[in-house]
Amino acid sequence: MSGATEVLVIGSGAGGAPTAATLAEAGFDVLVLEEGPLVRQGEVTPFSLEQMERQYRAGGVTVAFGLPSVAYTEACCAGGGTEVNSGLYRRPPEDVLDRWRTRYRVADFDSAEVYAICDEVERTLSVQPVPGAHTAPSEALRRGAAALGWRHDEIPRWMDYRRGPDARDGRRRSMTETYLPRAEAAGARVATGHRVDRLVLDRGRAIRAFATRDDGETVTIDFDHVIVCGGAIQTPALLQRSGLRRHVGRNLAVHPTVKLAARFDDEVNVPDDVPVHQVKEFAPDLSFGGSASGPGLAALALSDSWPRFRDAVTDWRRLAVYYAAITSEGRGLVRAVPGMRDPVVTYRLTRRDRALLGRGLARLALLLLRAGATEVYPSYRGAPVVRREADLATVGATFAASKASVMTVHLCSTVPFGEHDRSAADSFGLVRGTGNVHVNDASLLPDAPGVNPQASVMAVAVRNARRFVEAIKRAR
Amino acid sequence: MPTFPPPGPIAGFCDRLVAHDLPDLPAGRRAEVVAFAGRRIAAMPTPMRLGVGVVSCVVEGAGRLVGRTHLTSFLARRPLPVVGEYVRLVRSLVYARVWDAWPDTSPTGGSSVRPPGFVSPISPTPGGNGDTNARVTVDDE
Repeated sequence: MSGATEVLVIGSGAGGAPTAATLAEAGFDVLVLEEGPLVRQGEVTPFSLEQMERQYRAGGVTVAFGLPSVAYTEACCAGGGTEVNSGLYRRPPEDVLDRWRTRYRVADFDSAEVYAICDEVERTLSVQPVPGAHTAPSEALRRGAAALGWRHDEIPRWMDYRRGPDARDGRRRSMTETYLPRAEAAGARVATGHRVDRLVLDRGRAIRAFATRDDGETVTIDFDHVIVCGGAIQTPALLQRSGLRRHVGRNLAVHPTVKLAARFDDEVNVPDDVPVHQVKEFAPDLSFGGSASGPGLAALALSDSWPRFRDAVTDWRRLAVYYAAITSEGRGLVRAVPGMRDPVVTYRLTRRDRALLGRGLARLALLLLRAGATEVYPSYRGAPVVRREADLATVGATFAASKASVMTVHLCSTVPFGEHDRSAADSFGLVRGTGNVHVNDASLLPDAPGVNPQASVMAVAVRNARRFVEAIKRAR
Repeated sequence: MPTFPPPGPIAGFCDRLVAHDLPDLPAGRRAEVVAFAGRRIAAMPTPMRLGVGVVSCVVEGAGRLVGRTHLTSFLARRPLPVVGEYVRLVRSLVYARVWDAWPDTSPTGGSSVRPPGFVSPISPTPGGNGDTNARVTVDDE
């Protein structure tokens, strides 16, 4: 089977959906190919295993190899990560934009323009704080931080609250609810269940994509321009499979996290939502927040020291899971290997990263004790049950990153943009050495922004898409 | 067509690990959990599948020499390098599945009494999948 389009957009997440909408509304013929299925909100319970089965790549069992390995997740569905995450939204801080502008030499990268786009995005996604009651685990974070005098705030989310004002009443304003319908209304075609295997290049220009459909049939698409928005793992892997390797996949940046479970006197467990409060006293190096805490995930948080912690699982209604995230100095690699369907992903934590994870876990445990937790269960092998502040010394003495369940959900920087000597794309996402291969997703961010990156991804995506429209129209 | 890793050694190891960690888990649930872990491992990205395949074959070979149950018990208690990651992966899939599907499960796998009026917060998902914060994680940010 074969087809043709003016612009092929690969991926439909926080990068691909705004790109498709911007281009379609500007009059371009746009085809979006998405590898995963369309799963409407409400079809699956948020943060459940069923959701992971249907909307995550490999059911969520994905790892960057290293010592220790870092577990990560990638969504694989229409709308990408915006369909499955918490919807927390943080504008890129001014110092991050300044760093990208100066250190990574991203040209014509005006903060005022970025923030004006953020304003538009926020209106489209109904970004707002919870108008009503917060969940108990979120309140615990706020309470603990307040008791310690630590800086904390509520992170707004892309939610509407027409069903009611409380945190659990929110309905996610994800890409399938916002930018993808806009793109379709403007004439874009969106095809799910199509995995793009490689691009064919001729003298620096991509002319065709080979894709495999869910039913196994090979599909070829001819195009004038291609914009790859598959995320920080799949985008570099596709470029490498297509022969584009210069500085591609070499700079994987993440926010590594470690977790713990905290037991309270009251029932606090909320299986289908996550806290909106975050603690930023030690930001950008360290941030604390709340995790999904359903009984399966609570059991997981206890599993590293199961013989010591296991009795707590019977009391999962009083358990909530929290994380400490760091801004990492380490970096990783994404490498497509001939003959392998999936890329090899590696990540190396630095000594400073490892120490920071341990300090973060101990401080997070302290915060939760101050919030009223009766027991805290850090997620690493050999961890003690923390019942009083004196126990925190044992955490400091026994923690090692190699014994911990280190994970991340923020992946970026594998095709960094800018004019610096290790950039893989120019300041607007055009892959170096090509005339028409663009990238427009988290891969472009030159480093991890220290906050949830999806607002940064969307702002950069809209900026680059608009620049693309201007450039093509000028050329015509 | 033969698959790699072969499902037999992984299923056998998983079954013995569940029996070791959760001895009171009813046989039907144990079988379902083992099948679930096998499905999830089969769906992992290629490099992970290859790694797990190699380690599972090494564990299977060693088990033939020293006794599979004995070896599983040893590995369940001693977090060895590399092999320990295999144990952690299987264990995380199992625990996530057990408490997601049957939140009333006791720490040894037995069924405890549900509180009156209790409704599972997350529907059991036959054919569903698993999550680990060691080797699987959920995007909660």
